[in-house]
Amino acid sequence: MKPNYFRMAVAYFVLTILALLVLIPIAAGALTAFKPSGIWVSSPPVWIFKPTLDNFKTILIERTQYMQLRNSLIISSGAVLVSLILGVPAAYALARFKFKGSSQLLGWLISLRMIPPIVVALPAFVLFRNVKLTDTHVGLILMYLTFSIPLVIWIMRGYFFELSPAIEECAMVFGCNRINALRRVVLPLVIPGIVATALLVFIFCWNEYLMALILSGRDTQTLPVAAATYVTRVEVEWGNLFAMNLIIMTPIVILAAIFQRQLVRGLTFGMIE
Amino acid sequence: MQVILVDLCKTFLGSVIAVDNLNLRIEDGEFAVFVGPSGCGKTTTLRIVAGLEQPDSGSVYIGDVDVVNLPPKDRHVSMVFQNFALFPNMNIYDNIAFPLQVRRWSKADIDKRVHEVAKLVGVEDLLDRKSKQVSGGQAQRVSLARAMVRTSDVLLMDEPLSAIDAKVRIQLRTEIKQLHQETKITTIYVTHDQEEAMTLGDKIVVMDRGCVQQVGTPYEIFHKPKNLFVALFVGSPTMNILEGKICKDENRGLMVELDGMKQQIPSRFCDALLNSNIEMVKWGIRPEHIKLVDGSEIDDTTGIVQVVEPLGSRDLLTIHAGHHTFKVMAEAEAVGHYNPENSCFLRFSGDFVHLFNAATDESLNGQP
Repeated sequence: MKPNYFRMAVAYFVLTILALLVLIPIAAGALTAFKPSGIWVSSPPVWIFKPTLDNFKTILIERTQYMQLRNSLIISSGAVLVSLILGVPAAYALARFKFKGSSQLLGWLISLRMIPPIVVALPAFVLFRNVKLTDTHVGLILMYLTFSIPLVIWIMRGYFFELSPAIEECAMVFGCNRINALRRVVLPLVIPGIVATALLVFIFCWNEYLMALILSGRDTQTLPVAAATYVTRVEVEWGNLFAMNLIIMTPIVILAAIFQRQLVRGLTFGMIE
Repeated sequence: MQVILVDLCKTFLGSVIAVDNLNLRIEDGEFAVFVGPSGCGKTTTLRIVAGLEQPDSGSVYIGDVDVVNLPPKDRHVSMVFQNFALFPNMNIYDNIAFPLQVRRWSKADIDKRVHEVAKLVGVEDLLDRKSKQVSGGQAQRVSLARAMVRTSDVLLMDEPLSAIDAKVRIQLRTEIKQLHQETKITTIYVTHDQEEAMTLGDKIVVMDRGCVQQVGTPYEIFHKPKNLFVALFVGSPTMNILEGKICKDENRGLMVELDGMKQQIPSRFCDALLNSNIEMVKWGIRPEHIKLVDGSEIDDTTGIVQVVEPLGSRDLLTIHAGHHTFKVMAEAEAVGHYNPENSCFLRFSGDFVHLFNAATDESLNGQP
């Protein structure tokens, strides 16, 4: 069939506009991150200048915010690890076995993700303070698990569903018990799914602001919370803020670029039932 | 090794009866085929033997051991699945080697054995390929090789040919039979295709609604169906069945009155009929047992040809006779002689007539 060039042209035009709408502010911000403090905000904006790393020096060295980078890494990777360890086997069980209350359990899990986080923020703070988990890495990881485990279960369940049960039954007939069949045959087949899920959970935890604001303290502050401190009552430190934003964004952009295909598959998966 | 199923019962979701009190004995080295319509419990029974389903009650003996509580891996069975179930992340070699790798054979032994089996089923050239790079027929060969790579007591096959192109299917069918003749491994084969069942089985187990309807050789199943279900399920095109009333004729003895025509009842049924008070029967004859004749005998029935379906060596005719429509398989010498609207005479040879009690659908069991 002959491709419809007109329709393609329209589609590309619309998509280009949309992409620009998203990209221009990011590009402007990224530029500002490299501007010397005098021209952070000026009218008209300065487009040509000698780039400097002063802003990065300020935030990372003077204000020692590599500590926040460290906190974000610990908390996000910790949450990814624990939610995979707990979520993947749960997803397998929910995909393969029907037991009393299994569909209710799934519904309950997804409902956890429908709650606006602000609703649980205050009770969570009181609860965590009582068990002395505020201002700890473990505390934030625990909080994130409430949101990330349902995500892992729902996405991974989709992957397990797509695998024919015959494959593991086959492994079982030929000498594996169920755990071995899972390890030798099933898990290798869902690695793309695990990668995509891990990435999604990582991005979610990395970007999370509200819970981090409430449950973290001086020692466990994460990057998004730190970034917000550049908006002060007196002024907005634009250059430093955008430098910070760039630091927050870069690892995610790189990871997303590497795992783009799995990510798209992961996002559109499991939704079909 | 012999397989004995004792009082097997299995229900799903507490109410759907899949297997209903099934008893069966499969001898050592026998090729048994479970055949029946979908939902008749044949696959469930196979999966119970494999250990992939747990029966609600009953026992499964392989050899002398009740294996019902053993996990699949300890039952010494191997299995071929309908959708091949090749491991997609492994190449063909590793797929075939899998049962040996799991049981920690040495590399050299595995290599030797994999090549032996691959040669036996004709997949030697494919060993380096990825699982996704083989056709359906090849995939099922590989799956067969994987099932035979380790000596097992029982080989289970769950509709292995139903996902394969028609031509390759018939070729593989022959090869499976040949492999069984060479290896003499006890085999249970599940299919919904009665032709496949007839061609492969030493013993055919016809199932319906979780129950065994009949167990027998292909010959017995075809010529002496125990009930109407078996009679209709086996044979293609299906047996012609008419319902009629028993009546007595002064000169000719027992007759059956079929709306618009009368047929003499073969003497082999008479004792059974006279000793019971059966009034209504179902009278059946297979399309290939109806003869097209010149109309010289008293019971020959006139008919009008409606449809002619040439099958090459034979013609399948649809003929209207009495108030009934018959399927008739015209013999080789009659091919091409009949056209629609032609009139003809049908002769129903008594030797091939089946009679069933209309109330129970059980055969009246006349010996031919």
